[in-house]
Amino acid sequence: MTLIAVLDYGIGNLRSAQKALEHVGADARLTADPALIRDAAGVVLPGVGALGRCMQALRAAGLDAITEEVIDAGVPFLGICVGMQMLFERSEESPDERGLGILPGAVRRLPDGVKRPQMQWNLLERRGDPPLLAQAPDPAWAYFVHSYSADTEDELVTSTCDYGGPVVASVGRGNLWATQFHPEKSGRTGLAVLRAFVDAAEEGRA
Amino acid sequence: MDLYPAIDLRGGKVVQLTQGDFDRERIHGDDPVAVARAFVDAGAQWIHTVDLDAARTGEPLNRRLIAAIAGSVDVPVQAGGGVRSLEDAAELADAGVARVVMGTAAMESPELVEAIAARQPVALGLDVRGREVAVKGWQEGSGTDIADALRRLENVGASAVVVTQIAVEGLMGGPDLEGLAEVLRSTSLDVIASGGVGSLDDLIALDDLVVDGRHLAGAIVGTAIYEGRVPVDEAIRSLAGNPA
Repeated sequence: MTLIAVLDYGIGNLRSAQKALEHVGADARLTADPALIRDAAGVVLPGVGALGRCMQALRAAGLDAITEEVIDAGVPFLGICVGMQMLFERSEESPDERGLGILPGAVRRLPDGVKRPQMQWNLLERRGDPPLLAQAPDPAWAYFVHSYSADTEDELVTSTCDYGGPVVASVGRGNLWATQFHPEKSGRTGLAVLRAFVDAAEEGRA
Repeated sequence: MDLYPAIDLRGGKVVQLTQGDFDRERIHGDDPVAVARAFVDAGAQWIHTVDLDAARTGEPLNRRLIAAIAGSVDVPVQAGGGVRSLEDAAELADAGVARVVMGTAAMESPELVEAIAARQPVALGLDVRGREVAVKGWQEGSGTDIADALRRLENVGASAVVVTQIAVEGLMGGPDLEGLAEVLRSTSLDVIASGGVGSLDDLIALDDLVVDGRHLAGAIVGTAIYEGRVPVDEAIRSLAGNPA
């Protein structure tokens, strides 16, 4: 079975992500152990709640450096929700807390005039033919809960959803995939995303 | 409009009450996780759970089962009944519950909703008998009119309001469309209707309800699903804009 490390840095509920990965056939472990993380075929960074608190917890657990390390090493990597937002340089949610800066751009508050958070199922609009959604149904519905979204270079965006205009739903660059939606709570679409990720990890590429 | 199949729990069993009356209970099995999985397999995009014991007494007797459901399905789970403190809400969030529903506590302490909503998604749960909001697992009236309650709770950070019409709950005689229209007029929050659905036509009537361009965000259906009148897969296919 493909070993997937789900980074455990002491924030709430990570079991859903772990269980969903197990559901698609991975040997998913919640871990903060650098040896196990380096050993894994794929690494998942979940995140819920406030970005500042997640960043602090990630640093306190010593997992910020290893996140950069495995991404640089080309290991298939999946950021989920705040786990995606932390990959960027900064966020309006926590101006004093720097992001990991692995991806260019910032995380901005959803525009005025829409309800915050966006908490609903929404339709994914693919940009190109992202491997992340290669196995997803069409139309692909996904579950979102967020008040902030990524503002980044167009070529990184692999899907959007419509919420008072296009909102970045997923990004990708080589081995690095990330979703604003929650694949572990997105039914068939979500399982298809996780399955594609585990497949990529198994093949040693993404 | 999203369908929220309901799993109401009492003493560890899946039950449905009629008009919120604990003496008029039908038992639909003792494996809530299997029930939840079956709903999701049929296409449900949400699961709505209620801890009836906790709603009535504050004792969260079914919380472990709700946690088990949240940990077992790959769609968001909403949980109500006895959510009356930061700790209650945090425990449910840690178990993977996507949104907690606060009724009695919201009526008694909007500040508490505000504090919880700053950390995790919250829906208000307003159960109404006529126009009066009921509390304590529907055992008591609050003396507050629904429109007043909605006004008071408009800006506490809740993302939705679940409105349950006690008079029609569990009877499958059709939802209170007029009451729901007034709720849509009285709040800008997402409105999730609960109570009275007895057929696919009832569900479609809820889906078609529009007030000032606004639709219901969801419908909670319990009894009609368990009685076989509203199959989950057919229901989802018949609703507009759904992940069917």
